[in-house]
Amino acid sequence: MYSAELKIPGGKLIRVKFSKREDKISDIMISGDFFLHPEDGIEELERRLTGTKIDLKTLKDIIRNFFSEEYVLIGAKPDDIIRVILLAKKA
Amino acid sequence: MIGNKLEPNNNRWRLIGININDAYMNMAIDEAIAKFISKKRVPNTIRFYRWRPSAVSIGYFQSITEEVNLDLCNKLKIDVVRRNTGGGAVYHDTDGELTYSTIIDLDNPFITQDIMKSYEIICSGLILGLKKFSITAEFRPINDIVVDGKKISGNAQTRRFDSFLQHGTILVDSNISKMFKVLKISNEKISDKMIKKAEERVTNLKKLLRSSVSFEEVFQALKMGFEETLGITLDEGKLTSEEQKLALKLKKEKYLKKSWNFKR
Repeated sequence: MYSAELKIPGGKLIRVKFSKREDKISDIMISGDFFLHPEDGIEELERRLTGTKIDLKTLKDIIRNFFSEEYVLIGAKPDDIIRVILLAKKA
Repeated sequence: MIGNKLEPNNNRWRLIGININDAYMNMAIDEAIAKFISKKRVPNTIRFYRWRPSAVSIGYFQSITEEVNLDLCNKLKIDVVRRNTGGGAVYHDTDGELTYSTIIDLDNPFITQDIMKSYEIICSGLILGLKKFSITAEFRPINDIVVDGKKISGNAQTRRFDSFLQHGTILVDSNISKMFKVLKISNEKISDKMIKKAEERVTNLKKLLRSSVSFEEVFQALKMGFEETLGITLDEGKLTSEEQKLALKLKKEKYLKKSWNFKR
């Protein structure tokens, strides 16, 4: 299990936990006291991250794509999600 | 700050409270009202309520095991419920905290797309309410109200169920050290010294006024604050039997369920 957390100065906390299967994300959970609107987006985001490679480019594509849609993250920036996943990978 | 005018027939809202329920029913009532407002079956509503037994509510995205000292809650008979709204874990002391919900039709001109702006609009009602006690409070983004930099109110918003819902707390006389014990952050993440620091970051009405204040007085002050800020008249009312019925169903089928509370 890989996990990490990131408290955004002046913002909220993002925590991530996942397993790795053949260098790809499996069973990811993103949690914390941030706001995501609409809220059900969290399950969709986790679904899209599942099975992906854990490198900056792949994560950037997924996260930027996701937040180019209707979703709004409050208390952190979309790139903070990438940061915390990469932190967990290193840990 | 509020330039939008309401439709003439749109400025009479329903006021419900103060009700006392358990955690699961409180969250179920918020959802039931939101669903009937989206169907335009009931007027916009401001609700005040307390929690018996005392309870912890966690943000929609929070992990229950990471945030809550479940063993201690169990021992102290403190309920734990997941909210529909994001944000952090809150300790709702039966005798020390008043919760409000504003549940509003998405067509209402107060409801802008801008989420931060909506926080500020609703919170300005609370701030004006606190002014009735000669307390100068201010909105601190993202979602807090503070007095001299110390938090007195936390707020959270959602637009689920096709209506606008913002609920939040006003600390009246909370047992702040108990609050930081049931929330795990105090137990495992920070030392005693840090708990003390965390305690110093929050305040409550009793502390600020140096005397006790009744829930009824707080309720009346906040009611006036909302009326004046939003330019509305609040008519005392209660849940319809349909809302009551739906709330009971939601309590049983959603908020009491492990699959909901332990989903993260």
